[in-house]
Amino acid sequence: MARVDTVKESKPGPLSRFMPDKAPLRDEFGSERDYAGEIVESSTTELIAEARELHGAPSFGQFIRVEVEMPVVGIVFNVFTHSIEPNRRPTAYGKTEEELRLEQPQIFELLRTEFQALVIGYLDGGAPVQILPPQPARIHSFVHLCADEEIQAFTRTDDYLRRILNTAKIPTDELLIAVLRHTLRAHAHSRTYLVRVGRELSRLMGDDYDRLSSVIRRVAN
Amino acid sequence: MLDLYAVKTQIDDMVADERRVQEDFRAVLELALAEYRRWVPEWEILAQKIDKSRTSWLLPGLAEGLGGGSALPERPTEISIAATDGSQIFPDRHEVSSCFLINIGYILLHYGTGEKPLMNSKPTLYYREEEVFEEWGGRRIFINRELVGLKRGLMEFTELADLALAASAEGHRTLALSDGTLILWNLEGKPQDFKEAYLKATLAAMEGLRQARLPVAGYISQPGSQELINSLKLGLCPLEVADCDRCPYQAENQLGFSADEIGVLQGDLWCGHSLPCSPLEGLNDAVLLRQVLSPGQRTPLFRSSSKILNEYGPHRVYYFYLHVGAEIGRVEVPEWVAIDPELLALVHACLCDQAEKGEGYPVALSEAHERAVVRGADRDTFYRFLRDTFVKNDIQTSVSTKSFKKRYAGI
Repeated sequence: MARVDTVKESKPGPLSRFMPDKAPLRDEFGSERDYAGEIVESSTTELIAEARELHGAPSFGQFIRVEVEMPVVGIVFNVFTHSIEPNRRPTAYGKTEEELRLEQPQIFELLRTEFQALVIGYLDGGAPVQILPPQPARIHSFVHLCADEEIQAFTRTDDYLRRILNTAKIPTDELLIAVLRHTLRAHAHSRTYLVRVGRELSRLMGDDYDRLSSVIRRVAN
Repeated sequence: MLDLYAVKTQIDDMVADERRVQEDFRAVLELALAEYRRWVPEWEILAQKIDKSRTSWLLPGLAEGLGGGSALPERPTEISIAATDGSQIFPDRHEVSSCFLINIGYILLHYGTGEKPLMNSKPTLYYREEEVFEEWGGRRIFINRELVGLKRGLMEFTELADLALAASAEGHRTLALSDGTLILWNLEGKPQDFKEAYLKATLAAMEGLRQARLPVAGYISQPGSQELINSLKLGLCPLEVADCDRCPYQAENQLGFSADEIGVLQGDLWCGHSLPCSPLEGLNDAVLLRQVLSPGQRTPLFRSSSKILNEYGPHRVYYFYLHVGAEIGRVEVPEWVAIDPELLALVHACLCDQAEKGEGYPVALSEAHERAVVRGADRDTFYRFLRDTFVKNDIQTSVSTKSFKKRYAGI
């Protein structure tokens, strides 16, 4: 009897015939897939991923890893939410999000959150390499958040900072500050780490003392 | 290529004509409104005349009399609205394959619970011999636009019923909304076996809903129907019982009348109109009811007298007009919804709420349309994909020169 019950439970409900054929949120072992997004545009230097949930993108400056043969590592530098249909724009309703979820539930199906990440390196056999990967991450690969240990391992050296500083069309200083606040936490706010990064930054921005001190001040507080 | 200059002069003529029409229109509307108000207290007399008369136009059954509007009932806090819509790629004999495609959009919106809605579409490709050739009335015919359209309409309805039943089985109190009429008048004149097959499928879906007591309503935006106006036209007819085929005001029926008799008949005519009923010609119900209803109100129920409904059994269609704010819509319901005050109030309340949410048009229906629609670009992609797949698999096909010329016109 017990067996019959379990079979019944796993049976899809009457509405399942009308549902989209989407990848299950749990993998074959029953554990929840914990990816943050899925790549929808990819190049050697940048990638765009669709967040798994609306408003569920990683934060600005966060480290991400793309699950591929040679995992690609990046940092989030832009998050945006927009309509999925080119000819339909969101309009103001004058209601709170709670009210909208109860009375206009369809609008949340028509919005997507996407995030852009700057590629800063990859993992070669698990070892961090702060060079652009030989091949870009593939479209539809899953994007995961890096755990503190991974960030710590990846930022054993600081060469990636030059990559941030040399990239045009991103809010460079703001991104640098956000990234360093993440790495500092990953390094358990170690004073040695802070001093080391400070030295590297002063080497990179040595000719602009005001800018350097503004960055360091904002990282530390 | 369109010669816009040539069209311009025709547009000017059209606008000039339109202006003249609008000037006459006010007087006609005033008359219709006065007639409507006249019949409100005496609707039973009009109802009897409707029952006895034989007219060449459709007349409504006055199921709830005539009168002002019924106020907007309150919508239950928790309700789910199911809706479907369909779209198609018609068979094109100039293309590589004469297959066709029907895309159905499914919408299930849950209100008051915050539950994730279902918004999806499913395409079905028809390509097999028995799918592109159909045999009706003893004739085997290659499927055409009309047949695809009818097939799509049927699928929209049966899928809607299935969706609403599935939602109900999962514990949602559901209202099913259909886009357009529930009256399959377009089956009239079709081969008997075709008509029977389509009616049977539709009525079976309707019966499933009835047994689950799941209300269904068809919403018609900008209705052009004139049944109510027709009843006022009948009211204008001086005869006690009208019979349009033998109308004494028609010249062809006046053979053998004396000059005096004709003179008397002409005295009944209004401002030089040809027939006593013609002053209200050209007006439709929605225009009149805009003057009668306030936002949120509905008219009394009317019973449709379309011929096809004689085969509907317990699902005979009733309708009412509803002021949804932006327009007067026509709402059709089967008899078992019409006579169930709770279900009728639910239809009334939900449709007004839906139209308000959708800025004038029921949001579930417009979302279903958005899901279902196959745009020109999608169609082109579909055929490109089809051709590529044929080529990849080394299947011999040919595209007609006409189709080729449409795409690459040389100079």
